[in-house]
Amino acid sequence: MIIGSQKPIDEIWGMVKDFHKVLVFGCNTCVAICHAGGEKEAETIATLLRMRASQEGKEMTVDFSSVMRHCEPEYFVPVMDDLKKYDLILSTACGVGVNFLSDRTGTIPVYPGINTSFYGAVESPGDFVELCAGCGNCILHLTGGICPIARCSKTLMNGPCGGTNKGKCEVSKDIDCAWYLIVERMKKLGTLEKLAEIQPARNWSTSRDGGPRRVSLEHIRAYEEQEEKKTESEGGKK
Amino acid sequence: MSGESAEEKKGTHFQRVAALKETRPYSPCRAACPVNTDVQAYVGFIAQGRYTDAFEVIRSVNPIASVCSMICHHPCEQSCRRCSVDEPLAVRPLKRFALEKSSEYRRNKRRLVEKTKGKSIGVIGSGPAGLTAVNDLADLGYKVTIYERHPVLGGMLAAAIPPYRLPREALKEDIDDVVAKGVEVKTNCEIGRDISLKEIIANHDAVLLAVGLSSSRSLNIPGVEGPGVLLAIPFLEDVAFDRKPDLGKKVLVIGGGNVAMDVARSARRLGVANVEMVCLESAEEMPAWKWEVDEAVEEGITISHRWGPKAVRREGDKVKGLEVVKVTQVFDTNGRFSPTFDNNQTKLLEADTIIITIGQMANVGFLKDSAVQVDDRGRVAWDPKTQMSSAKGVFVSGEVVTGPGSAIAAAASGHKSAMAIHLYLQGEQIEDHLPSYEKEKIPQMPPDVIEKINREPRMPIKHLPPETRCNSFASFEFSYDEETALKEAGRCRGCGGGAVVDKNKCMACLTCQRVCPYGAPVVTSYSEIRPEFCQACGLCAPECPGQAISMVSYDVREVRDTMKEIVGPLDASRSEPLVVAFLCSHHLGVLGYRLPENVRTVPVHCTSRVDVNDILKAVECGADGVAVVQCAGGSCKYKGIGQRVAARVERARQLVAMLGMGAGRVELLTADSSDGKSYATVCNDFSGRIMELGLRKR
Repeated sequence: MIIGSQKPIDEIWGMVKDFHKVLVFGCNTCVAICHAGGEKEAETIATLLRMRASQEGKEMTVDFSSVMRHCEPEYFVPVMDDLKKYDLILSTACGVGVNFLSDRTGTIPVYPGINTSFYGAVESPGDFVELCAGCGNCILHLTGGICPIARCSKTLMNGPCGGTNKGKCEVSKDIDCAWYLIVERMKKLGTLEKLAEIQPARNWSTSRDGGPRRVSLEHIRAYEEQEEKKTESEGGKK
Repeated sequence: MSGESAEEKKGTHFQRVAALKETRPYSPCRAACPVNTDVQAYVGFIAQGRYTDAFEVIRSVNPIASVCSMICHHPCEQSCRRCSVDEPLAVRPLKRFALEKSSEYRRNKRRLVEKTKGKSIGVIGSGPAGLTAVNDLADLGYKVTIYERHPVLGGMLAAAIPPYRLPREALKEDIDDVVAKGVEVKTNCEIGRDISLKEIIANHDAVLLAVGLSSSRSLNIPGVEGPGVLLAIPFLEDVAFDRKPDLGKKVLVIGGGNVAMDVARSARRLGVANVEMVCLESAEEMPAWKWEVDEAVEEGITISHRWGPKAVRREGDKVKGLEVVKVTQVFDTNGRFSPTFDNNQTKLLEADTIIITIGQMANVGFLKDSAVQVDDRGRVAWDPKTQMSSAKGVFVSGEVVTGPGSAIAAAASGHKSAMAIHLYLQGEQIEDHLPSYEKEKIPQMPPDVIEKINREPRMPIKHLPPETRCNSFASFEFSYDEETALKEAGRCRGCGGGAVVDKNKCMACLTCQRVCPYGAPVVTSYSEIRPEFCQACGLCAPECPGQAISMVSYDVREVRDTMKEIVGPLDASRSEPLVVAFLCSHHLGVLGYRLPENVRTVPVHCTSRVDVNDILKAVECGADGVAVVQCAGGSCKYKGIGQRVAARVERARQLVAMLGMGAGRVELLTADSSDGKSYATVCNDFSGRIMELGLRKR
């Protein structure tokens, strides 16, 4: 899931201070699970902003609410009329949610209430770790299920490098050396010999090099596009 | 669509989650009560020293509250979850304590109710069923007349229950409540003797028969006719109205039920030293409540088990004794009452007086030739779905149709009948519209949860010693003193107030499952908090990132809506800091507890329910300081919550510091709940530290 982390209240205040009616809009999926942007945190931020406004002597209404996800329209379209009563929406969704929502709120700006950190897992309660970089070309079968793109500081395809030190990375003693982990895992799996094969230079075309990416499923789109055209000819929806 | 839109957020949190809370099963005590008294609500008020609030909860469903506070068989206690830990909560004595503490308030509250409905109802009988129905109908604005054959109201409560169990002052409180509503009372008015049923039906728009079971059953054995053999009800009526019957030196009571206990113990109080009971059942099979039996034995009453009456032996007219025969079996293999005897084993139990106490029946002779049909076994024909008899507009309530039961069960029947009459008179459908008291209850706790619960002994109830109490009919049970009552009230774990999950807001994040010390939540596609495991500590609700969890009672999120009123108006010229303190509700009433005037309290079931957002809200509403006051280690109901509470307070401190206010405005304090004064001490010390930080300028 997507891991988010909270922004300092001063930074948020800097964004919202010139608005009068602000909605802190929580997202109750990924960023709620990591205690960054669910309804509870949205309420916290709203309360802090009201207090700050009061300290600064600014007239400002700050409310909070939430929906299950900001990245699918069906979740927030039903409350769009409510959203439009505000002159700023501070979304505590990930960057995906902020983008997606702001494409659909017309003249009302949507600002980010949190930082989107990475794709990660809950290693233990309150401890989230990055395990995937979303590069678009998965090679985990070659590396014992441990991703060198996300977890090696240098994203090496053939490691480890000389900076490995007793299982730790030279960048920080708090970072495990991904290639050390890979070697140990492959030993355990009995597939160590696969590492003898040199991996060619990585093709990054599936990652960020071609601009923003899109996955389009033909078998679903064929029908959906027809429906969308029909709706547009009947008066349009977007 | 899930979550709450700003639109859906309208109203208070309380209003938004009301329907969700209804989905949680009742606490076992509440479900067991025939009128579903919200036991935990009033016990919670007692623990906070809010006795009149406790009274309101009790009286809202129970018009015979004082009676029940003395004689109820308290199914609430028998079903208390504490039974599997140590001993049940002493609910009945707590009810008595609350009612006695609020008696002045109660008397001052009595008011005439305006007769707005323009219709009149005649109620025959003023026992628990009749009195309850009268109460409800008067509240609804009907003109009500009570017909009672005895010189006083109360039915069997006044005419048969001996005063050592039910002091008449207690009964009077309940009756006065009802009569004060403006009810016409006709005592010494027996139907068939002083007035005909026909006349009553003609005088009213509806009639309720709540005549109870007022005749004693007798035995068909040789020698039973004649002096020296009495029936229970006439005997108890003699006792109730202070007509002292001559019983001789030895009394034998036939029967093993609760009325037999009343008879035997009354005989003992009439000065008879030698009182013996004889019953078919063994000690384990006896239908009388165990505590009644124990108290009777303490009073020197002997019980001969498993003997059946065969004949009354007489010398001339005078009773010599009862010949009894050995019982070999009371119930058959299907559990049906089917006694068998060994005729070879007989003996004579000597006695001067024999009192037969083997059950009651209805006395419905006055219904003969009336429109109200009575079946060939003497039972009034009625439809439980409408509470109506075979005569249109004539309703029936209480033991006359339900059979023998408890006073509070009769009151429940009275509530139903009153509603039936109301619907009938308003021309509405009765069927399916009567109140139901059959509620789903929280199942018993699993063994591994029981082990995690603190043992806290039940506060004992003091009685007069047997040798003193048998000298009079005065009540022998002492009420709790305040200190004991508060301690006992604090034993309630408030299981009925546990956690409920709004499935529409739950994202199955596992947080509740991770934090619960009792293993209550099970998360699949959403979290389900199993009530049999839940201990209502509330640790989960403030941790839930989607705010999907609410607590059925003492939900602190409700307080956020009213925090402005709690903090009150802000006085710019104040010389003391305004402090908001979140405190455990179970220790708010401890003796000696009194907080400084500058402290505004928020009672919480446990500080484990306090969320970062609750603390921030208090700061936002103007508090100079916010304290979460936890109970010192040993006295907390729940184990292992302290660190999570501390972590939340620390987080709130950091956030407040981010606003430049100084983290010191929020603190976690610890008070010793065995020392009421320690709450004031820690709050005073905190106020001092806030003064050093300075009062907030607004």
